[in-house]
Amino acid sequence: MSAVWQAARAAVRRRRLQTVVIGLVVLASSATSMLALGLLDAATSPFDKAFGQQNGAHVVAVFDTAKVSRAELEKTTRQEGVEAAAGPFDQTIIAVPKGSPAAPAGPLVVAGRADPAGAVDRVEVVQGRWPSAPGEIAINQGFNVPPKPGALGSKLKLPGGTSLTVVGFATSMSRSAGAWVLPEQLALAPATSQMLYRFASAATEQQIRTSLATITAALPEGALSSSRSYLSVKAAFSGQSEDYLPFMTLFGVLGLVVAVLIVGNVISGAVISGFRHIGVLKALGFTPNQVVAVYLTMVCLPAVAGCVLGITLGALLTKPVLQAAFEGIETGTATIGTSAWVPIVVLIAMPALAALAALIPALRARRLSATRALNAGSAPRTGRGLRAQRLLGATRLPRSLSLGLGQPFARPGRSLMAMGAVIVAVATVTLSTGLTSTLVAFAEAGGTGAATEFYVRAGRTGLGQPTRKLSDQETEKMLRALPGTLKVTAGVFVGVDLAGYQQQPLDVQFLRGDTPSLADQIVKGRWLEGPGEVIVPPAFLSQRGLKIGDEITLTLKGKQEPATIVGEVMDGGPRFIWSSWQTLAALAPKIPADLYHVQLKPGADPKAYAKAVRSADPGLRAEIDADLGESISTPTVVGFASIFTVLLTLVAALGVFNTVLLNTRERRRDLGMLKSIGMTPRQVTVMMTASMALLGTVGGLLGIPIGIAGHRIVVDSVGSIVFPESAKAVWHVPQLALLTLTGLAIAVLGAFAPARSAARLTISKVLHTE
Amino acid sequence: MTMDDNAGEPVIRVEGLRKEYGSAAALDGVSLEIRAGESVAVMGPSGCGKSTLLNMVAGLDRPTSGTILVHGQDLGRLDETGLALFRRRQIGMIFQFFNLIDDLPALDNVALAAQLTGTPARQARLRALELLEELGVAGRRDNYPATLSGGERQRVAVARALMNRPALLLADEPTGALDSGSGRQVMDLLIELNRLGHTLLIVTHDPQLATRCATRLVEFADGRVVRQSALETTP
Repeated sequence: MSAVWQAARAAVRRRRLQTVVIGLVVLASSATSMLALGLLDAATSPFDKAFGQQNGAHVVAVFDTAKVSRAELEKTTRQEGVEAAAGPFDQTIIAVPKGSPAAPAGPLVVAGRADPAGAVDRVEVVQGRWPSAPGEIAINQGFNVPPKPGALGSKLKLPGGTSLTVVGFATSMSRSAGAWVLPEQLALAPATSQMLYRFASAATEQQIRTSLATITAALPEGALSSSRSYLSVKAAFSGQSEDYLPFMTLFGVLGLVVAVLIVGNVISGAVISGFRHIGVLKALGFTPNQVVAVYLTMVCLPAVAGCVLGITLGALLTKPVLQAAFEGIETGTATIGTSAWVPIVVLIAMPALAALAALIPALRARRLSATRALNAGSAPRTGRGLRAQRLLGATRLPRSLSLGLGQPFARPGRSLMAMGAVIVAVATVTLSTGLTSTLVAFAEAGGTGAATEFYVRAGRTGLGQPTRKLSDQETEKMLRALPGTLKVTAGVFVGVDLAGYQQQPLDVQFLRGDTPSLADQIVKGRWLEGPGEVIVPPAFLSQRGLKIGDEITLTLKGKQEPATIVGEVMDGGPRFIWSSWQTLAALAPKIPADLYHVQLKPGADPKAYAKAVRSADPGLRAEIDADLGESISTPTVVGFASIFTVLLTLVAALGVFNTVLLNTRERRRDLGMLKSIGMTPRQVTVMMTASMALLGTVGGLLGIPIGIAGHRIVVDSVGSIVFPESAKAVWHVPQLALLTLTGLAIAVLGAFAPARSAARLTISKVLHTE
Repeated sequence: MTMDDNAGEPVIRVEGLRKEYGSAAALDGVSLEIRAGESVAVMGPSGCGKSTLLNMVAGLDRPTSGTILVHGQDLGRLDETGLALFRRRQIGMIFQFFNLIDDLPALDNVALAAQLTGTPARQARLRALELLEELGVAGRRDNYPATLSGGERQRVAVARALMNRPALLLADEPTGALDSGSGRQVMDLLIELNRLGHTLLIVTHDPQLATRCATRLVEFADGRVVRQSALETTP
């Protein structure tokens, strides 16, 4: 065992508080860093890896075969900028009936491909086989979605009635099609063909658009029906997980700041209070570098232990967070998890950061003259803060209080670091409180728990529910006539295709009647005012590269209807949009409404109302509106923020505790002297606590604006939600006043125990030791 | 305790030593030579510069001007690391307030000095235990310094100073913090060490310590050597 190790190990064993504080702060920082990096990695790496393995298509372009020939399409593959290409593959759309085990009901894009391999989009067969004869079909299905029992071997029908047998399931990370058949299966005049391209420049949406425009410039006008870049597929993959990133990253950064402050403070304190220790080491023959090594080892031991525990905790937390982040996402062949580099980076970086924070005070120990260290016993007082003490002494404050308030000025560096920890803790509490308030306000804006809002649903025969007796129009009339009704909005969900997008069909809710409370959630644009308009959530836009004002084409049973995006609501899944009843009338005029959103007048009894609805028609079910439609999990975010807040607050309090403890040790002689001239133990407690109370109050005042700014950054960075101003404006005077007290509370909490211990010092012992 | 020494050779040679703290001079042109096997006591009033001299000779501090040669080695030419190596190999130091490491038990405090020179821990502990036995404190080997009496602490400190078998022992008020009984024990110990061939430089206020342990007395005043005289040691 080397002398350095011996001295450092002994110091770690004897300075338990210091060791625990460093270990705890590094644990908290490591856990949050693991979470933030794990999410960041999961949001990109699994997709990139799986997409790369399949040589995925940067663009899936669909061409109108009436306007462009196969030869012309093949020519595009030889254009400059095309790295690789596949196709043309004929494609058509088939309707999957309800109850089919092979695929969800609705339209399914089927492409004709002889084999799953090729230069681009190497589709991976996950079960069964690739079609080898006409009449066979393979369905696109992800690894994580096992086929339903009986799916293999089930039948689907092509337009025209040709029956297809499902012979396999395959996954395309490019999502080039919903299913594949042999090319000859679609030989009978397909309307469209798809081309799959990989471009030399495809890092941004702009580069992809430019490349596509270049290679299709020579084609006849209108030949390109639609196109979709892999970036939108990637956005769909990572969109939800990226919503968590701002939270995790900010908490991670706060954790790192606290780690640096606390480690710096603790080691500075250890150096200052350990001047004699340093002197003895040097007198014994420790070289300056060995002294630095002793102090760095003192930090690295608990830092490594804290880091290992933090990584373990982070790994445990990462699993449920990733589950929540990727819930409902089509992940294809990508395996969601954290890469090995994440814990390795954390394991190296966190102790290195702690060592770096300790290096400055350790270098001070290196430079320290042995004689000065031995003679001083502790850091020499330089008379700093005397002016502040003099000014405070002239006030009418009790002397114990004024003496305490002046203490932070004597050691400004140490005081600033303790205050820094309080600032970060208060900022974290503020951020956490703000996030909780925002999420609660957001939930309320979405109608959650509002007892005065109802959904009245028509019973479904297929689900064994009693069928409605009243027609659609009669139901609406009945609801409007019931006492207590304020507003009624009738609607129906219809699966509609979006022309040009080979994704699952959209669930469009067509609405009529009074403007629903959903209109209050419009964050950009306006509510529906006429036919041919849609309202969409942010995720719908981001996953398709669309914006307000863009036109889309809704397709239902062969009928097409253009619609303009006129508004954006704050939240919602990427497949759910809203349109007017007139738009539905153009697509399918005979579909009746089966869902009625009812708002009651203030004071109306919801139970009596529900009873009245059932009495009027037992086939109607009245349910309190509980559809929040969150893309992020409120309990996950609030739970994580709460745990982290408690942890950081505790660590900040420990930082204050350590500071007061150092001050007490350093001022033992002063305290003994003050007690010898008559200062009571209570006055000593007040003095030592007051010294930190000032820092806590100032730290609280500084931490609040930082927390508010952090809150604003986080709520503005969640991609799939645009929080309304009402949900962002969560700060009120009483709440802010309470938050100000948080800093004071942390300071008093941390200072009280060592202050009491200072009060109990035995005078003779203290003065004798000195 | 035995050691080889070239008796009569100069161990310490100080020439024109000056040390200033701000405008005040703690040492003002001190020249002194101490030969192998000598036991020299430096006495003088508080603030006369005697501890400063000891710190310079130990390489704990650097002079403003002048030279210090210890075993022919010019301390002024050594950097911080060189001084640390010099301290661990060439000298043993005994302080008034012991300066033991509070975090280590007595045995490890003593062993640490040998471990610094690369001696394996097991071997260092065996040697440390031997020294503690010789000094009569082996029974307290697992005690931390805070639980030892002043005399015990000083004997542990002496053991530590002897750990690397230095030819030169420097002692700064070695009995200053001890009661009379413990002080006498430490004096006997120093006499014995000198008899075994260790060269001693002792800074003290205590005339009894000087007359009992030293063979030569150097008197200081205002940072200067004012008188040197040979002493008859009293048993």
